[in-house]
Formats: sequence, C-alpha cells, structure tokens
Amino acid sequence: MKVRVENLHFSYGEFSLHVAGQTFADARVTSIVGPNGAGKSTFLKCLATILPASRGSVFVDEQDLADLSGKSRARLVGYVPQEPSFTFNYSVLDFVLTGRAASIPVFSSPSRHDVAAAEDALRFVGLAELPGRPFFELSSGERRLVLIARTLAQDPDILLLDEPTTFLDPRHEIEILELIRRLAGEMRKTVIVTLHDLDMAVKYSDDMVFMKGGNVVAAGPPGDILSEALLKAVYDIEMGILDVDGRRLIVR
Amino acid sequence: MSGTRNKKTTAAFILAAVLPVVILVLSLNIGAYRIPPKAVFTTIVGAVFPGGAASGPSPYADILFRIRLPRLLLALFAGAALAVSGASLQALFKNPLVFEFSLGISYGAAFGAALSLVFLGRKVPAQAAAFVFAIIAVLAVLVIAGKSASQVVTILLSGVIVSALFQALLSLVEFFANPYALQSLIFWLMGSLSQADWKDLGMTLPIIGVGVTVLILLRWRLNVLSLGEDEARALGVNVKREKIVVIVLAALTTAAATAVTGVISWVGLIVPHLVRMAVGADNRKVIPLSAAYGACLLLVADDIARSAASFEIPIGILTSVVGIPFFIVLLKKSGKIWL
Repeated sequence: MKVRVENLHFSYGEFSLHVAGQTFADARVTSIVGPNGAGKSTFLKCLATILPASRGSVFVDEQDLADLSGKSRARLVGYVPQEPSFTFNYSVLDFVLTGRAASIPVFSSPSRHDVAAAEDALRFVGLAELPGRPFFELSSGERRLVLIARTLAQDPDILLLDEPTTFLDPRHEIEILELIRRLAGEMRKTVIVTLHDLDMAVKYSDDMVFMKGGNVVAAGPPGDILSEALLKAVYDIEMGILDVDGRRLIVR
Repeated sequence: MSGTRNKKTTAAFILAAVLPVVILVLSLNIGAYRIPPKAVFTTIVGAVFPGGAASGPSPYADILFRIRLPRLLLALFAGAALAVSGASLQALFKNPLVFEFSLGISYGAAFGAALSLVFLGRKVPAQAAAFVFAIIAVLAVLVIAGKSASQVVTILLSGVIVSALFQALLSLVEFFANPYALQSLIFWLMGSLSQADWKDLGMTLPIIGVGVTVLILLRWRLNVLSLGEDEARALGVNVKREKIVVIVLAALTTAAATAVTGVISWVGLIVPHLVRMAVGADNRKVIPLSAAYGACLLLVADDIARSAASFEIPIGILTSVVGIPFFIVLLKKSGKIWL
C-alpha cells in the first residue's frame, strides 16, 4: 500500500516538523536519514499517529488515517519502537501476542488462531524456539527481533521502524536489515525505517529520505539522489562517496 | 524453566479453586465462641437440608449464620476486590508499586463512607459516598501527576499528597462527630469486618462481584495496556476509554469494600506480587489468581484478628504489619526487573 503525506505539521517546544509532500511506495524499503534532531523519529511517530499532527494528513491508498478508528488504523500501520518501555517481564510469546490486540475483542483473550499468528511471526524472525523465554533475558538483538515479530503478528500493510539497528553489533545489525528486506520482498509490506548508518541505508533501501531541521531535504532512490553536496548540506561535514564493486560507500 | 512454571501455574489455579472454600469452612470454627467442627457441620447440613437427620434448632445457628458467615463472605469478597484492583492498577499504570492505597482511593473512599456514616445518617449509602470520593481521589492523583503519571515516583508522591488531604478531611469528620459516632468511626477506620451484616452485604457483594468479574474479563487487555499509552494506541487500543473503565472498576470495588470494612491496606500490593513471583507477569493468570489469594489472605488475617488475643485486633493493623516491610523490600528492588 502506498503512503502519501500532505502538508504535515507538528511542533514541540522549539522544534517544528513540516513535510510539504512525501510519498512512500508500495512494497519498498524507504529509509529516513539525517543528523540527530532532524525530526526522523518525530516524522515516523506522526506517520504512526502516535504524535498528533497539528496540520496535514497521512493517506494510505488515499484513505486519511485520521478518519479511521484505532483498530482499523492498527490493521494498516504497525509501529516498531526502538525499545519496548514495559515494566513487567512477559514471556516472548505473551509479548508478541499483544500485537493481536486489534483483532481481539476487549473482553476476550487470544484464541488458538492468535497464538498461531504470533508463533508464525516468531518463526519469520528466526526466534521460533524462544516463546517461553522471559523478555528481559533476551539480548538487545533478540529484543529488536521480538518487537518486529509483534508488529508482524499485528499484520499491518505498512511497517514503521524507529532506529531498529541502534546499539547493535554488525552481525545483528545486518540480521535486522536483511529481515527488513524480506518484509518488503516476501511479505510485500511497505517499510519505512529511520537509520543512522548511511552505508547500511544506501545498501538496504529502495528509497531514501534525507531530513534536516524538521524538513525533508531530498528524497528518491539512493543512486539518483546521493551526492557529496547533499551529504555536506545535511550533515555539515565533508564526506566522500566511493563506488567499490558496484556498491556505494560513504567515506568520512 | 517454562515446564516448572507451567506446573506452578496449574498448582496455583487448583489451589485457588479449593483454598478459599476450605479456609472459609475452617474459619467458621474460629471466633470468641469456639464452635466444634462437628457442630459446624451438623448446623450447616441442618440448614441446607431442613427435615434431615441433622435438623432441629441448633444453638450455634445464630452465631454461624448471622455473625460469622456474613463476616467471612465479606472477607472473601473484600480480599478479592482489593487484590484484583491492585493488580489491575499496577498493570494500567505500568507501575508495580501502585495500588488503591497509593492512588488515594482507600482514603478517598474512607472519607466518603465516614461522611455518610457520621453526618448523612446513611441517607446516602456509604458505598455510594465512598465511590464518589474514591473517584475524586484518583482523578486528583492523575491531575497532580500530569504527564508523568507513568513514572513510579511521581504517581506515588501524588498519591501521598491526595491520601494526606483525605486523611485531614477524615480528621475533620472525627472532630465534628459526636462521642458515640467517633468511637465507632475510629474502630471502623482501623479496618474491621465485625460490622458485616446481611443488609450491607446485599449491596456490597453484588458491586464487588460485578467489578471483579469485569476486571477478570479484561485480564488480557491489561497486558496490552501495561505496555504504555503510546504502544497500546499503536496496537489499536482505545486507551482513554479502557483506562477509564479500569479505574472506575478498581475504585468501585475498593470503595464498596472500604465502605463496610474501613481502611484495609496493602492487600492490593502483597497479593499480586506474590502471584507474579509464582506464575509470571501474564495478567491472564495474575488477575484471577489475585482474586482467589486476596480472598484467602483476608480470611486468614481475619481469623488471626479474631483469635490471636482476648479482644479483636483491627484487621487493618494486621495487614499493615505485614504489608509495610513487604513494601520496603519492593522499593529496594525498584529499578531492577519486575516479575
């Protein structure tokens, strides 16, 4: 499903976000990059409607998200936070099952079908053997995978991931990014992800959105938009771009 | 690990089904006037099957059915109410140290009930007055805590402020109460089940029954709500509506119990924590098991209150003696993981 943003405004204290127009294509991975404080996570939370935009709209296949109930929205858009903020030490399966909330009536508990969906999601992210493990016993990498599994159990068409690779070692970083590629490739999800690592963003994204000061500076396929001038304009430091064996590497 | 926990969960549910009934029956023997178990049995059989071999007027029937049974039923229901509302509020505020006492609900309810008992002459039922002020108390806590309501310290401090306010208002009621009313008010405030009669129970037990049942039905939803407002909303939950439902039910059940029992603290903290230690954090288990073990705890506490000394010890004092050290241990654990 295609996501279209129209004249989106959000402000908090001194910071203000303004995205005049932006489209995220169906079944593609789009990474949002930019320096700290550029508004990447804020933009993502506005897309997820976690933060209420003061003006403007987010459309999913021309359906304004603001017109939908919470349940209907959750079936379209899933949000994966950087870290879960919960207090109680649920088992991995119990945690992933919370992703089914939009499909389960208020006074009911998960059915076998819901449990099967949660187990499928865990299998997809490669954690099929962990359902009974307490969440707090997991490594950072495993926790990120469980967060993604919860959103897969929710089964939305659009996945928004907030810095899913931050603080991860290279192996887990690549594991998560490969998984994100599979979400768009195998599951035909529209994936929008904020990233800090430019090399990885270039390698794993179909499209990139560069942000600075709450605005979109450039957007498009990395091969089309990436330039040393753009990097200098966004990050305020000199960076070079090297082509090595068909890959574009950014040199600082 | 998971196999051991499954066995523990099964055992906990079997015990939860049996233990409250067993303790209730055994508790019928206990009191200032000790009734032999055989006499309890024949009196109950005589009442259930009139005209049978064990029938005939029993000298114990009045004590058992007019005094002890209503009191024990009140202990059973009030214990379940306090433990379930504590467990629900902990999940809702994602704060393991929150319970009806720390949210000001207990003293709000106590003030409302005292107002009704002393000044309104029960024109307004104590349960209704208790509920209104319990809701006012929890709203005041939420307003004072503001946007930091999910933070452990902020909400505890806001609760301390509101509880202190309602304690001051209670003192005001005591100040203006006549000596006779003052005496019974003070004893009632320390927590006691001795006032239980069928008339009060006719109103209290259905309220608690409905409140606890609905909270048990919401048990899995509480898992989702315990993730925090943003995450629950992103998962499709109508957070505002469901939060109000849980708060109203927790306040309602606590107020219904407090209006008859006075202030009985700490049950809502101790029981859910012990249950989580045994079976894990999943509220599908924690909420119903808290109901059963809360009932057991209050039944046993009442047995001790009635039989440990030649006079009756206020039950609120007993639960505080156990609850305060428990709370200190939990506070020291704060910042580490919660089961």
